[in-house]
Amino acid sequence: MNRQTDTEFTPKIVGFLCNWCTYAAADLAGTSRLKIPSTFSVIRVMCSSRIDHNLLLTTFFKGADGILVAGCHPGDCHYGEGNYYARRRFALLKKVMEVLDIDAERLQLSWISAAEGHRYAEVVGKFTEKIRELGPNPIKGSTRF
Amino acid sequence: MRAKVGVYICECGPNIAEKVDIDGIIAGLSEFDGFGETELVVKKYGFLCSKSGREFLEEEIRNLGLTHLVIGACSPRDHDSTFKGVCGRTDLNPYLYRIINIREHCSWVIDDVEKATEKAESYLRGGIARVLRQSELFENPIDVNPDVLVIGGGVAGMQAALSLAAEDRRVSIVERSDRLGGRALELSGLSSGTFRGSDIAAGQVESVMGNPYIDVFLNTGVSSVIGFLGNFVIELLSDEDGATTEISSGAIIAATGCAVYDPSLSGSYNYSDRDDVYNPLEISRMLSSEGGVALRSGGRPENIALVHCAGRDELNYCSGICCGVMMKTALLLKESIPGVDITEFYRDICVPPHEGRQLYESVLEAGVDLVRVESAGLSGTTVSFREKSGVEDQRSFDMVVTAPALIPSPDTADIALLLGIPLDDTGFFQEAHRMTDPSGTTTDGVFIAGTSQGPRGILDSMRFARASAGLILTRLIIGEKLVPEVAVSEILEAYCTGCGNCLEVCVYGAIYSDGSKGVSVVNEAICRGCGNCFGSCPSGALRTKHFTNTQLYREVDEALR
Repeated sequence: MNRQTDTEFTPKIVGFLCNWCTYAAADLAGTSRLKIPSTFSVIRVMCSSRIDHNLLLTTFFKGADGILVAGCHPGDCHYGEGNYYARRRFALLKKVMEVLDIDAERLQLSWISAAEGHRYAEVVGKFTEKIRELGPNPIKGSTRF
Repeated sequence: MRAKVGVYICECGPNIAEKVDIDGIIAGLSEFDGFGETELVVKKYGFLCSKSGREFLEEEIRNLGLTHLVIGACSPRDHDSTFKGVCGRTDLNPYLYRIINIREHCSWVIDDVEKATEKAESYLRGGIARVLRQSELFENPIDVNPDVLVIGGGVAGMQAALSLAAEDRRVSIVERSDRLGGRALELSGLSSGTFRGSDIAAGQVESVMGNPYIDVFLNTGVSSVIGFLGNFVIELLSDEDGATTEISSGAIIAATGCAVYDPSLSGSYNYSDRDDVYNPLEISRMLSSEGGVALRSGGRPENIALVHCAGRDELNYCSGICCGVMMKTALLLKESIPGVDITEFYRDICVPPHEGRQLYESVLEAGVDLVRVESAGLSGTTVSFREKSGVEDQRSFDMVVTAPALIPSPDTADIALLLGIPLDDTGFFQEAHRMTDPSGTTTDGVFIAGTSQGPRGILDSMRFARASAGLILTRLIIGEKLVPEVAVSEILEAYCTGCGNCLEVCVYGAIYSDGSKGVSVVNEAICRGCGNCFGSCPSGALRTKHFTNTQLYREVDEALR
């Protein structure tokens, strides 16, 4: 059921948010009545370190135009150091994305604490604008998983 | 069995009802044919979290024979546990339910009703698709041992033990040396506020020894620790005869204290045992001895230099308590040796907030000469220094008192390894979180107190000890059971190559290697379910219960539909 009527490109963006920091920031953005683009979909995970390469690449192949992974600030991870691992895995995945012809800009890692509702809204807004400029994800559906 | 998913949308008063078209969602979901044979029941309700709302849900689950439950409402941070509780009062396993946040993430952040409605419907489709892939999980409440082990018998350790014993907890204190009291017992000349450190410590020792709830093991170390919050088994090793004792406890407080930096390790402090160079602890001992403060050659010193900040540059931190200690030392020396000249070479003054200013003014009144320097070094009892103004000079004294930094005690790293807790970059125990959890550690059930977590005074050490004791009293309640996290990781043996990546990344030490099978195994009692191991597994053997990729892919599919 697609109620979208305009022909303008509307990016579909998935946000994997850590339960303890960024998900709470998203809640705070809500209680503060900030505006979040309706094209941004939140998926809650316990820690940014849970996100593996398969999940991200599959999400691109399934058609996401952009993916935001966001967790606690370095040093503030609820589980001690999970976000440091997430950061290292990201650096590696960006290389893989180049090989697969996915613009590395389509994947963003951000640190947003539970107190940063405004920053959350700002990051999601700017990322959405960036993906709008990049246009549709060219590898959508090109490989079946 | 054919699945029957109950989807209940909360109006949350006007919060959701005015911003999304709930009836439109009900119609949309009812028409949607993406769930195969699954039967959907979709309804709305005023306030699902209210008493009547919860009773309504219970009746629906029972009367309709729902196999799964999806609640479209607020953030799981608000009411996940509420609806889990509803499931718990029926036969529906709470892990076959999911709360979908259509308030904070839809109605409150999207102005356009049509778009907000579309979004809420998409989230709910994701929730339904996901819940169909969820599995039952069973919480297994375990009995807890309310006893506590305290490692270290200084002021912090003894204070923690006394606070716990006052609430009828059995406590074992393990102390490496042959007496209780720690360093505070040596501070007979140096007071902390209006009390003398040694008086505080001596009073505690008496209370501990006379307390029927506290067992003391002297000359004893810890040789192994296994277990988790509520159930630890600890092996103690006697330094005297090598005998081992096994004790069990529900929590552990590490209060292993600190050591004093040796200034002669610093390149700028050159002196030997023959020189009259002492630290404040040694002065304190002299002050309380019969002979008082005397030179090695006999006789009283006529002039004494107090040189601050030994080790500050080498260690790259300020211990924070030495300035206060040096000022007290200056006052006591003035009092003890009539007519003595005292010069303090300091870099910055860092004093405790309450007594600090008073102390500083007393030092000025007593006629202590304060010289602010950029750096100072020793050659025997001759002080070489560079003043703030850049002027370099040197002066000779009869006696010099240094202010060595506090450093971690020598076995801090070994204890940290045994307890599975990290050290900070200065080598002291690292707290779970400096602001939100300053007494806890990354190992649930292990708490820290006193100078083992960084330089601090006697009163602060006792405060942190009380904090740790208080946390234990509220977390380990006699007669109550603990529910360990069940949404944990598991390793599928058939896929595991035994590479050990997951062991490396697990900060909790929850994964061990089964050598006989050549695979890694998760200790579910310790795992907290972060999923870091999942991200490290190259062979697809890992599974994070309740957050499987299959479940997440269903959410992704609906988000992108």
